[in-house]
Amino acid sequence: MARMKFLCDSERCIECNGCVTACKNEHEVPWGVNRRRVVTLDDGVPGERSISVACMHCTDAPCAAVCPVDCFYTTDDGIVLHDKDLCIGCGYCFYACPFGAPQYPQKEAFGVRGKMDKCTFCAGGPEGKDNSEAEREKYGRNRIAEGKLPMCAEMCATKALLAGDGDMVADIYRERVMKRSGRPQSWGWLTAYEEDV
Amino acid sequence: MKTRALLKGASVVLLAVLGTACGGAMDVTVYEPGVYKGPKDPLVAMQATPEQKAALQARFTKSQADR
Repeated sequence: MARMKFLCDSERCIECNGCVTACKNEHEVPWGVNRRRVVTLDDGVPGERSISVACMHCTDAPCAAVCPVDCFYTTDDGIVLHDKDLCIGCGYCFYACPFGAPQYPQKEAFGVRGKMDKCTFCAGGPEGKDNSEAEREKYGRNRIAEGKLPMCAEMCATKALLAGDGDMVADIYRERVMKRSGRPQSWGWLTAYEEDV
Repeated sequence: MKTRALLKGASVVLLAVLGTACGGAMDVTVYEPGVYKGPKDPLVAMQATPEQKAALQARFTKSQADR
């Protein structure tokens, strides 16, 4: 069984924010909620690096582990989804998530959190039929049910952001690294593992 | 003399308290996810079909593989 994964190639990402725009447009994400965002390290300094970050659909998702109402489920393809009807907006998943993926719309006064919203890997949610009006309104479009992959990756002009079967994504990335003749040094590989590894 | 003894005693107690505070448990609490309680997602059944898998793989090759 395939495991759907995102991978952002920092050597290719040019911080165009096309993925962010594509996601917002495709799912009509409300103001104040960003399912995906681009993070830039050392912005403006030579050698700056950017990566596009959203829910990484963790194999052992910490959000699901801390949810007091058990509103998370993982599909057979490894996509982590949640039920907004069960969500109580407690924010525990936000604290647990290492990527800051869960988002909360601010519809009410006094900072009251609404139902959690996050990247669905363009796979909708548990709302009746796939791509029904209700599902689209609550979770966004269900592209996976249409045999399509996430809009953010498909729109990426430099193909920095890849989304699909983890094995296929890994094959492409491995090939790129071989072509570049060496590992990317953007994330402190040498610092972490020293030169010999 | 009495004050000095008192100060000495107080500092010993203070050190003991601080020492206890620093010696926290090193065990990590691991939480296991509970069982999902919501309605079933029809997508889950669809993903089990080989057609869906083939469609997504074809899509990936078409749209994301390096040219």
